[in-house]
Amino acid sequence: MQHIDILIIDDEEKFAAMLSKRIMLRGCRSLVCHNGQTALQWIREHHDSVTLILLDLQLPDIYGTEVLTGIKQVNPSVPVIILTGHGTEQDRKKCEALGAYLFIHKPLEIDRLMTILEQVKGTSK
Amino acid sequence: MRQTISSTLKTIWPEFHKRKKNVHLDSFYTFKDYWHLWSMSIFILAVTALIPLCIVTFIHYQLIQKSVDSELILRTERLTSNAKRSIIFFMEERLNALIFTVDELGYGQLTDNIKLAEILKNLKHGFGGLSDLSVIDTDGDQVAYAGPFNLEGKNYKDQPWFAQSLKNKYFISEVFTGYRDVPHIIIAVRSVKPDGSIFILRATLDTERLMQTLASYKTGSHTDIFLVNHKGVLQTPSIRYGDIFTQTDLKIHTYSMRTEVNISTSQGHRVILGHAFISTDMVTTPFIIVVNKDKDDLMQVWLEMRQKINWTVGISILLIVIVITFASTFMVNKLFQIDKTKAETMLQMEQNQQLASIGQLAAGVAHEINNPLAVINQTAGYVKDLFSFPEETRNDAELIENIDSILEAVDRCATITKQLLGFVRQFDIKIKKVSLKKIVFDVLSFHKKEAEYRGINVTVTIPDTIPDMETDSGKLQQILVNLINNAFQAVDEGCCLDIIGSQRDKETIEIVIQDTGCGIPEENLTKIHEPFFSTKQEKMGTGLGLSITYGLVKKLGGNISVHSTEGVGTSFTITLPVKIKEGTLA
Repeated sequence: MQHIDILIIDDEEKFAAMLSKRIMLRGCRSLVCHNGQTALQWIREHHDSVTLILLDLQLPDIYGTEVLTGIKQVNPSVPVIILTGHGTEQDRKKCEALGAYLFIHKPLEIDRLMTILEQVKGTSK
Repeated sequence: MRQTISSTLKTIWPEFHKRKKNVHLDSFYTFKDYWHLWSMSIFILAVTALIPLCIVTFIHYQLIQKSVDSELILRTERLTSNAKRSIIFFMEERLNALIFTVDELGYGQLTDNIKLAEILKNLKHGFGGLSDLSVIDTDGDQVAYAGPFNLEGKNYKDQPWFAQSLKNKYFISEVFTGYRDVPHIIIAVRSVKPDGSIFILRATLDTERLMQTLASYKTGSHTDIFLVNHKGVLQTPSIRYGDIFTQTDLKIHTYSMRTEVNISTSQGHRVILGHAFISTDMVTTPFIIVVNKDKDDLMQVWLEMRQKINWTVGISILLIVIVITFASTFMVNKLFQIDKTKAETMLQMEQNQQLASIGQLAAGVAHEINNPLAVINQTAGYVKDLFSFPEETRNDAELIENIDSILEAVDRCATITKQLLGFVRQFDIKIKKVSLKKIVFDVLSFHKKEAEYRGINVTVTIPDTIPDMETDSGKLQQILVNLINNAFQAVDEGCCLDIIGSQRDKETIEIVIQDTGCGIPEENLTKIHEPFFSTKQEKMGTGLGLSITYGLVKKLGGNISVHSTEGVGTSFTITLPVKIKEGTLA
């Protein structure tokens, strides 16, 4: 399995697809999961093969916070960015407590994401 | 002095009289028509209190009337009986004297004129009331005479009384004038001469003496006491009916031994009329004694008392009505105040609920829009990428520019949704650290376009040294939204709006929002915080804005004051604690 730079967990298919394409245009690899269970399954199988995870809070099957807890159980060191359309202050606090790396409101600027990715790569090296 | 009166009037004058129609508020009142409630309560209380009073007064009048009537009848009866007895005694006494004289002296001595004169003298001396004496034989010839009139030798054969005297042993005549032309009564006693023939001893009674006896029974000016004969002709003068021999309208037909009294109306007067037939054991007389009392005169004392009672009852009724009016006004006013507070609270609750549901709706819209916005953003970004990465299209400035404007528009939309979400959060009561400057700019961003369009110069002066406040940001935001909205509505084009923040002391922050708008007239200054006071036209405003603001400032533990000069501008000054005290928020 190839190493994935950014794992996108978002049920908004079009958004995830576009973001994924743009990441690839910038020479990075990305993977899209449209629900929480698939994402958790993938991470359990390839927990070392991902640099950064983008996680939406509202998923069709389970809460984003549950996914976050699951990821942290498998790989506590992988940075998870919470990307939400309408997260509240309470959500932010909860996610930060669960070990989220950043809490960002949509829409997301691609350049900012790439900068963060560079930073993460830099620190992990 | 005038102020005291006007302020007293203000407290007495019930608030519900000044109630204005307000379609928003009226549906929350428990009682719709306070005028009706007020008048009904006065009416019911007054009726309940006054009806027993009136009934008791009426019964009292009836009782007194009855007892006065029976008392008057009793008194009249007594007076009539007493007078009757006196008259009977008067007649009997004189009749007995004559009987004694006749029996004692006999015809022989009585026909002696000198002796007769002596007897008259003795009788006058002993009894009085007799004016002359005469002896008349069967033919009507006067045999002897003693007295002041020159009546010797007169013949009485044709006189009506003479026939009567012959028929009866004793006789008392009506009053008549006869030969002498003076009213008099004749008392005659029939006797027998030694030869067996009949003769009559006749005495003339002076009516003067009779009238004196009657007059002694007069108890007051309203008592008329007189004698009539059986045909109703006056035998003594009467106050009411006039002089002697006048025919009266009295109709006394049936003979009765008893004294009778009745109340009747005569000549427009209510009179108490007592009468009794005068007859002795020896002889019946033609007289009826009549006592006539004017009831209205007799009732004078009672009428005066009744007037006093009327006054007392009248004043009592007035007092009761006044007390009832005041009490009802006070109670209904209290009820109105409570009802008003309730209605206002309910309306405010409803308004809050509406605001909250609008907030929920806005939040829902913001949520739903954010995701498509993200898609647009990413798709536009991808299109931009597609043109930016290949060498040949990288420098197509026009294309890039168009895509950037899409991205910019998305950014603006994102800001709006963010603000909407921020606005919604004010309904969650939450104390947190907030920057006054940030909140002011957040609120102003809603008015940015309007200010530009209308040329309103908005300046914000908030020094960075002002510490972050620990308060409910949502409520603070709403306060500012309301005041800034008002200011925007008050100013004309080209006016100024200044928002000045400063730290008054360690614990208090002061925010001044001043405009150079139309100002508030002095008479409205005290009312602007009252709920539903609005100068905006119907349906333009609910009049709740400033009252909600006032309530919110109080909730945050602060104060709000307003200074305004008409035509110059208005400034609202809010002071808020830097750190809100725990438990202040309800």
